[in-house]
Amino acid sequence: MTIGSNAILDSTLVRVRDRLISLVPGERALSLAIVVVALLVGGFLRLWHLNTLGYNSDEAVYAGQSAAIAGVPGLRDLFPVFRAHPLLFQFVLALVYHYGVSDIAGRLVAVVAGLLTVLVVYRTGSLLYGPMTGAVGALLLACMPYHATVSRQFLLDGPMTLCSTCALYLLARYGLSRRPGALYATGAAIGMTALAKETGMILIVAVYAFFALSHEIPAKSRDLALASLAMFLVLAPFPASLMLAGGGGTSRAHQYLVWQFLRRPNHTWDFYPTMVTPAIGLLVVLVAAVGLWLLRRERSWREKLLLSWVLVPAVFFQLWPTKGFQYLLPITPPLALLAARAICAGIGEASRSYPALKLRWLPLPIPLLRPVAALARSERGRSLFRGGRLTQITPRGDLIRLAAGCLIVISLLLASWNTINTSAADSFLAGSGGVPGGRAAGLWVRTHTPAGSRLMTIGPSMANIIEFYGRKPAYGLAVSPNPLTRNPSYEPILNPELQLRRGSFQYVVWDVYSANRSPFFASKLLAYVRKYHGVAVHNESVPIKASGHRTVLKPVIVIYEVRP
Amino acid sequence: MKRMFLLAVLITALAGALPASARGNAPARTATPIKHLINVMQENHSFDNYFGTYPGVDGIPAGVCVPVNPFDKHDRRCVRPFHIGDNDVQPADLDHSAATNRLQLDGGALDGFVYALNQRGQDGRLAMGYYDGRDLPYYWEMARQYVLFDRFFSSDHSGSDENHMYWVTGTAGEHRGPLPTEGYGNLPTIFDRLEAKGVSWKFYVQNYDPKITYRAKGELGNRESQVIWVPLLKYARYVDDPKLSSHIVDLGQYYKDLQDGTLPAVAYIVPSGASEHPPSSIMSGQRFVNSLLRALMQSDYWKDSAFLLNYDDWGGWYDHVNPPQVDKHGYGFRTPALLISAYAKRGYIDHTQLDYTSILKFIEHNWGLEPLASRDARANNFLDAFDFSQPPRSPQLISPEFRTPTQPQARRWVLYGAYGTAWSLGGLIIGWELFRSTRSRVRSRGGG
Repeated sequence: MTIGSNAILDSTLVRVRDRLISLVPGERALSLAIVVVALLVGGFLRLWHLNTLGYNSDEAVYAGQSAAIAGVPGLRDLFPVFRAHPLLFQFVLALVYHYGVSDIAGRLVAVVAGLLTVLVVYRTGSLLYGPMTGAVGALLLACMPYHATVSRQFLLDGPMTLCSTCALYLLARYGLSRRPGALYATGAAIGMTALAKETGMILIVAVYAFFALSHEIPAKSRDLALASLAMFLVLAPFPASLMLAGGGGTSRAHQYLVWQFLRRPNHTWDFYPTMVTPAIGLLVVLVAAVGLWLLRRERSWREKLLLSWVLVPAVFFQLWPTKGFQYLLPITPPLALLAARAICAGIGEASRSYPALKLRWLPLPIPLLRPVAALARSERGRSLFRGGRLTQITPRGDLIRLAAGCLIVISLLLASWNTINTSAADSFLAGSGGVPGGRAAGLWVRTHTPAGSRLMTIGPSMANIIEFYGRKPAYGLAVSPNPLTRNPSYEPILNPELQLRRGSFQYVVWDVYSANRSPFFASKLLAYVRKYHGVAVHNESVPIKASGHRTVLKPVIVIYEVRP
Repeated sequence: MKRMFLLAVLITALAGALPASARGNAPARTATPIKHLINVMQENHSFDNYFGTYPGVDGIPAGVCVPVNPFDKHDRRCVRPFHIGDNDVQPADLDHSAATNRLQLDGGALDGFVYALNQRGQDGRLAMGYYDGRDLPYYWEMARQYVLFDRFFSSDHSGSDENHMYWVTGTAGEHRGPLPTEGYGNLPTIFDRLEAKGVSWKFYVQNYDPKITYRAKGELGNRESQVIWVPLLKYARYVDDPKLSSHIVDLGQYYKDLQDGTLPAVAYIVPSGASEHPPSSIMSGQRFVNSLLRALMQSDYWKDSAFLLNYDDWGGWYDHVNPPQVDKHGYGFRTPALLISAYAKRGYIDHTQLDYTSILKFIEHNWGLEPLASRDARANNFLDAFDFSQPPRSPQLISPEFRTPTQPQARRWVLYGAYGTAWSLGGLIIGWELFRSTRSRVRSRGGG
C-alpha cells in the first residue's frame, strides 16, 4: 500500500470516527430513550390481552372489597370490607367503582402501579449508579415475566412493590444526601408499603439491616425515631379504621393474624427456587450474583442497600411456612438494579477503553462495533488511535457482555410473551394469572340462576370468583368447620349433606383447578351431585393440547343443579 | 277445492279426537298469561294459626280471650292466643270433625274453640296456639314477596274428605260420609273437563303407591290418607282406566317434568310425610314446599306459572272470622293460602273471599271450561292477586333454613377518611422531601 493511499484511508477512518461520535447520543438522552422503550414494552406486556381471562380468587376478593367500600349493591353483602389485608389500593379502586364495577379497572390500577415502579427503578438506579444503570434496570424490570405477570392482576403485591421501591429510592437519597427529611420520607413510604399489604412491614428489617451493615451511612437516633413516627402515622389509619368503622373488622383481622401465624405450610420449601426464580429470570439472578462477585472490590453502601432489600424479604418468606407466588415481588426492583449494575459496569470498563468514541453504553448494534473492534486490533488501527489505550483493550470481552445484556432482555421478553399469552390449562397457580372459564361461569350464574340461589364449590377460590361475577353466595366444601384450621375470611358449610337435603344449596360447582388441589373434596362434591339428583346445567371448557398435536375441549368448570 | 276442504275438516276432527297425552304438552290457549297452575294442598291449619300475627292481615284481634266454657256463665276462665312453644301446651292432632266445627263456631259466636276440644278429651288451650315468623320463616317471607290471601275459607265445615272433594269436583262428593265400596262413579272432576278439552294435567303424589286406592281403604292404616288426599283414587274409572290413571304419578315425576319440559298445564300436588298435619313438623312442610317451588323457579316454566299453596281444613285451630254460609256445607273456617307467581303482586294481601272451588273457577276461566257445580260457578276468582301488566318477575329463592347472614356494614365514611388521610399524609411527607431537595438543587445551581 502506498503512502498516499494510507493517507486517504486514515482520513476516511477519521471521518468515520467523527461521524460515529456525532451519531452516538449522550448518556442521559440514551438512558431516557431506553426508559421510554422500557415503558412502551412494559406497557405492552402488561396490557396485552389484559382482560381475556376473568379475575382469579384473590383479585375477586380485593375487587369485592372495593365494591363493598363503594357500597355497590349485590356485592357489598357478599364481600365484607375487612378480610385479611389493609385497604390502601382497594380504596383507590372503590373510588372508581362509584362510577360502575368493571373487572378491567382493577387491573388497570395494577398496570399503572407496575409502570410507575419501572420509573422509580430508573430514578433509583440513576441515583445510585448513573442514568444508564437506572435505565437498564428499568428495562429489565419492565420485561421481567414475574413483575409483568403480577402487575397485570389486581393484587396488592404490585402496588406494595411500588411503595417499597419508593422507600428504596428515598433511602438511597438519604444515603447520598444525609438529609433527615429523606429518612422521614422513607418512613412514610414504608408505612404506605405496609398499608398496601401488611407483609411490607418486613422492609423495616431491611432498613435496619442496611444501617447495621453500612457504617458509612450513619443515622441519628432522633431521625430514626422521627422516621418511625412518620411510618406509624401513615400506617395508623389501618388499625383506626378497624376499630372505628365497625363491621366486625377488628375481630376478623385478629383472627386472620393468628391463623397466618399458625397455619400449616401451603407449599414445599423449594417453591420459591423452582417457581419464582425462573419467573424472575435465571439470567437476571445469575448476572446480579456474578456482578456482585466480579465487582466486589467496588462494593459500597449502595450494594448493601440493594442486597438488604433483596435478602431480607427472600429469607423471611423462604422461612415463613405460608408461601405465595407473588410474595417475593418487592425483591425484583433491587434485583433488576443489581443485574443492570453488573451489565453496565462491564460496559463501563469498555467505555474507559474507548473514551474517544463514547462507546460507553450498550445499545449500539453489535455489527456496528465489529469493524471498529477489528480495526482496533489491526496495525492500522493502533497507529491511527494514538495514546496507547488500544493496546489495553479487550473488545471481545466487552462485546460478550453487551451480547449478554441483549440476551437477558430478549430472554425476559420471550418468557413474558409466553406467559401473558392466554394459554389454556387445567392447572392453576394462585397469583399467576386469571382463571380460564371462571368469569364466564360466574356470569352464567348471575343470569341463569334465581335470586336467592346458593352454590357449593370444592374450595373457597372458585367460590370467590362465582360470588364476584355471579352475585350469588357460594361456599367452599373444603373450608374447615374448625375455626383453628381455616382462613377466618371464609365461612364453612356446616353439615353440607344436611344442607343439601334441606335444599339450602341449589347448585354445585365442580372445577378442575380446585379438583387438582383437593381431590378428596372434589370426590366428595361429586358424590353429593350423584346423591342429590345432580343435573349438569352448564359447563365451561378450554382448549387443551392432546396427543398428536390435536386440540380438544376439556371441561374445566361444571355447574350442577341439585335437589333433595 | 271441495276435496281440500273435506280433507282439512277430517284432519281437524282427527286431531280433536286424539287424547291430550298423544298431542303432547303443547300449551293450550289461556285467558291469562298463566300457562301452568301448580296447586299444593297441605293439611290442617287455620289462617290465624299461621298468619294471625302477620302484619296487615285480618289477624287475631287484640285482647281476644276465648272462654273455657262458653255455656257456663259462672266460669270466667278464658284462654288468650299464645305462641306455641312459649308454654307447656304441646302440639297435637286436634279434632276437626264437623261436630267440633259446630261447637267451635257456636252459631257464629266463635267462642267454642277451647270447649269443643276439651269435650273431645283434648287440651282445649292448644286451639288458641299460633305460629309466627320465627316458626314459619319461609311462608312469611313468601307472603312478603308474593300474595297472601286472608279470606280463603275451607269449602266445607268438616275435614279432609269433603274439602278435598270440593277441590276437584266443586261438591262434597257423591256420598257424604263413608266411601261406597264400589267407589265413586260419574261425579265429574275438573280433570274430566281438562281431559275433554285436551288440556294436559297431572296429579303428583308424594311417595305414591298405586295399590292404595278406595279398594284398599281400611286396610292400610295411616297410608290410606293417600285415598283422601287424592280424591281421584276414590273413583273406579281413575283407578282402572290406564289412560286416566297414568296421570296420577309419583312426585319425583314433577321434578323430571320440570327438567324435561313436560310440565302439564294443571298440576295438583299432595304430600305424604311433609303435610304439616299436626303434630308433624311444620319445618318439614316448609322444606317440602320450598323444594317444589325451588324446582319451579329454576325451570323455564317459572315465567308463565302460578303456584298456589293451600291447606285442606282448619285442623281444629282457632280462627276469629265467622265463615260465610253459602250453603248447608260451608264455608268452613279460613285456611292459609299463598300465591307465588312471576305475575303475582309483591307483598300483596288479598282480601277476596275465596274457597277451594275458587281454584276450579280459575282453571275454568283460564282454560275455557264449563263449571262443575253451583259452588264453583258462583265462586270468586283470584285474578286480583295477579298483575298481568307487569313483566314476569324474576324468581327469588328463599331457603326455609338459611338466613343469608347480613354482613354488618362498615361505616364507609370512616374508611374514606382513614385511607384518604393515609394517602394525604404519605404524599405530603414524601412530596415535601422531593420538593425540598429539588429546591436546594436549584439553589445550588443558582449559587454557581
